[in-house]
Amino acid sequence: MVVGHEPGGDGRVSEASAVDGLDPVASALVTEYLYDQGWSDGLPLVPATEESVKTFLAHTDRDPDEIVARLPQLGRTATVRDVATHAVMAGCRPEYLPLVLTAWDALSAEPSVLGGGWQSTSGPAPLVIVNGPIRSGLGINSRGGVLGPGFRPNATVPRALGLTVRNSFGIVPHKLEQATQGIPGRWTICIGEDEENSPWEPLSVDGGLRPGADAVSAMLVRTCEFVDNRHFADPIEVLRDFADTIQRAGPWIFRHSSVAIVLNPEHAQLFADAGLDKQDVREWIATHAGKTEAELAAVGKGLSHLAEGPFEPDHFHPVLADASPASLPIVVAGSRNAAMSMVVRIFSTWSGRSFPLR
Amino acid sequence: MSSPVTSELEPATAGHVSEYLFERGWSDGLPLVPATEESVQAFLVHTSRDEDEIVARLPQLDREATVRDLAVHAVMAGCRPEYFPVVLAAWDALSAERSALGGGWQSTSGPAPFVIVNGPIRAELGINSTGGVLGPGFRPNATIPRAIGLTVRNSFRVIPHALEQATQGLPGRWTMLIGEDEEHSPWEPLSVDGGLPAGADSVTATLVRTCEFVDNRHFSDPEEVLRDFADTLSRSGSWIFRHSSAAIVLNPDHARVFAEAGMDKQDVREWIVGHASKTEAELAAVGKGLSGQLPDGPFAPDHVHPVFADARPANLPIIVAGSRNAAMSMVVRIFSTWSGRSFPIR
Amino acid sequence: MSGGIIDPTKSRSTVTAAGTDASRPEQLRDLRVGLLENGKRNAAQVLDAVGHVLAERHGTGPLVPLIKKQFAMPLPDDLVDELLAGCDVVVIGVGDCGSCSASAVADGIRLEQAGLPAAVICTDAFETTSQAMAELKGDQAYPFILTEHPIANLTGEQIAQRAGGLAERVAERLLVGRPASEAA
Repeated sequence: MVVGHEPGGDGRVSEASAVDGLDPVASALVTEYLYDQGWSDGLPLVPATEESVKTFLAHTDRDPDEIVARLPQLGRTATVRDVATHAVMAGCRPEYLPLVLTAWDALSAEPSVLGGGWQSTSGPAPLVIVNGPIRSGLGINSRGGVLGPGFRPNATVPRALGLTVRNSFGIVPHKLEQATQGIPGRWTICIGEDEENSPWEPLSVDGGLRPGADAVSAMLVRTCEFVDNRHFADPIEVLRDFADTIQRAGPWIFRHSSVAIVLNPEHAQLFADAGLDKQDVREWIATHAGKTEAELAAVGKGLSHLAEGPFEPDHFHPVLADASPASLPIVVAGSRNAAMSMVVRIFSTWSGRSFPLR
Repeated sequence: MSSPVTSELEPATAGHVSEYLFERGWSDGLPLVPATEESVQAFLVHTSRDEDEIVARLPQLDREATVRDLAVHAVMAGCRPEYFPVVLAAWDALSAERSALGGGWQSTSGPAPFVIVNGPIRAELGINSTGGVLGPGFRPNATIPRAIGLTVRNSFRVIPHALEQATQGLPGRWTMLIGEDEEHSPWEPLSVDGGLPAGADSVTATLVRTCEFVDNRHFSDPEEVLRDFADTLSRSGSWIFRHSSAAIVLNPDHARVFAEAGMDKQDVREWIVGHASKTEAELAAVGKGLSGQLPDGPFAPDHVHPVFADARPANLPIIVAGSRNAAMSMVVRIFSTWSGRSFPIR
Repeated sequence: MSGGIIDPTKSRSTVTAAGTDASRPEQLRDLRVGLLENGKRNAAQVLDAVGHVLAERHGTGPLVPLIKKQFAMPLPDDLVDELLAGCDVVVIGVGDCGSCSASAVADGIRLEQAGLPAAVICTDAFETTSQAMAELKGDQAYPFILTEHPIANLTGEQIAQRAGGLAERVAERLLVGRPASEAA
């Protein structure tokens, strides 16, 4: 039985050895059927069957009929079984299911998710952050290319969320989903925190859990914006570089906004060596990142219409409402091979809560 | 391929094949479609190019990929056979990018190929150019750039944590294909800036880093919107060399406002190039002063460094796309620079 | 059969109900007009302007401005009670974002079912999502009123101008019910 082609190898295609039980033609027919049903996000799906869903459900103690995701404004819900169905279809392995379920626990606590985020013109993505030993247990990438492709749990867990939004909630682009331009990688952003190369406690501790716990934190985000700062002489220079990006006018919509930083371990170490902990970093940025009323007015975004206004032209508006982890979560991840970090725009704000894996 | 008679479907087999393809290490993390002699042939009939023609190469690794190899990866990515000419043209375009040949696939920046399609083929293939254009949900937009990524992985053998050295990488690295919304653009399409006749089916491609949204809905004056773009473009975080390049995926509503003010694309470019900058002092404050770096330094603290080298389309390509339901646009950071050339789909 | 492939869109918990309109009044004279705004920029101003035109041309009674604090969410029960107790008809809007447009349609359908005639205003950029919500609520033919997008940056003068045309379509929807013309 022919299985397919070896795609690599000196620019030539050679036939792979036959493997029993594999019929690529039958398999491709199934793929095409799944596309035709309109169930796909654009990429190939794995079919879900009673059997495969059962294999996934064996990895959780939860009742298959427990509701884990809901969208009251559409009268839609998704049960543990529905989520397992989408985990199968996304390409997850069965042992990823608790991660997908906990990601829904976390998303269900986010006001932005219940408040219309899935339908929004901003087209925000769930950012899922995993802490604890489960990262190595499942092979979750937390280092080089942490935000990029190539790692099955990082790729399929958030995809399962997206498929649930599409099929259980019925939110489909150009219909109930009204993203104006959307963002690249909407259903792909799941990262492990590189706790081993972080000088600080993990995000899940900021989120209220004990260190070392397997945990998921989640929030909705808009774009990721890199801060490439490799030649610093002084940590304050790097902090100023972060502040400069965080305060750009483009995302300014309301009085305050929240951002996450996916901090390169090399930047984190620089701050820690200077005696700064995560809260010190947050406070520095909360104090320094902002624009004046005149700067905002120049781009049509002056805030003088607020109840507290009008403001003097040189009045300083800080970006962040405060220096809490909910307004500025910091996650250490990425390779140490170049000092680049990522500012991630949070849609609305983070609840500030992490959720134990279960 | 039409829908099969459903009684023929063998989902258990499909699950096994999917798992087998994962186990071989051929996947980018998502399910693949198996390539067979028959399915590859079904793709090859959509091109007149010799299946042994070399279309993609990475000389420093002594790797190359033929038309046939690209067809294998297009199958595996989930493309439909008729998408194949777009995949080929995208590689024609990428092969003209110095950044793609110069180590971009292995770079710590982890840049993504950004593919823009112009012409009637957008409607024929169902390529999204309106709402959620950068997001998921549309098969050609999702699978064509994925085919590029799978070729990089399997033909070039550039794999994360090995030859691929992305520091943090980018969300959606192999997902960035958009159509230009020519129907809602007041200007000529990007492919005309790229040297092709208007109305031609064409592909433009370059490597990019992050997308940065500019949400500006309440403007009363187009210059406010231009200042908002300049503010984002001049942020220091992306400053590495003296100059850099960026694309703008411009919301049709923003484009309309500029056009109504009498501006064409080149006027927009020139305004932005004239206004996006930082002073030497501002750059020095973040450890990026240019005084020690450049032969024409040192610079006075108030010396103005423009972001862009010039106002050519190659340095600031503008593409109109997205829904007009909210006036949001996207600044897209180009890794290195665009060649300035568009390529016909053939 | 499809070899046992599960249809993921068939959630066991999905509920839909066929929609019907409330009965319509014969005229608007002296009726209390609820103005249910969603907190989006210029929404209150547009509804207020529409309300004043209705008073001028149709002799409506008091305007009852109310705000829906969470624009994407279903109406809270206490707000529904307040609307039912304090208004004879209601104008809802302006749906000008991805979630709030769909939600405005859902609110209209709910209030109609509770017996309150409602006119829903959304911007034309959100026609498809408003329609999708109507279908999802089992009321595919639900009539909503479309106005040109955007409204957030209209000046006071432009709002007044817009309200003139809108008010007539609102009045028609409140009086005639279906089939109201779905103006484009």
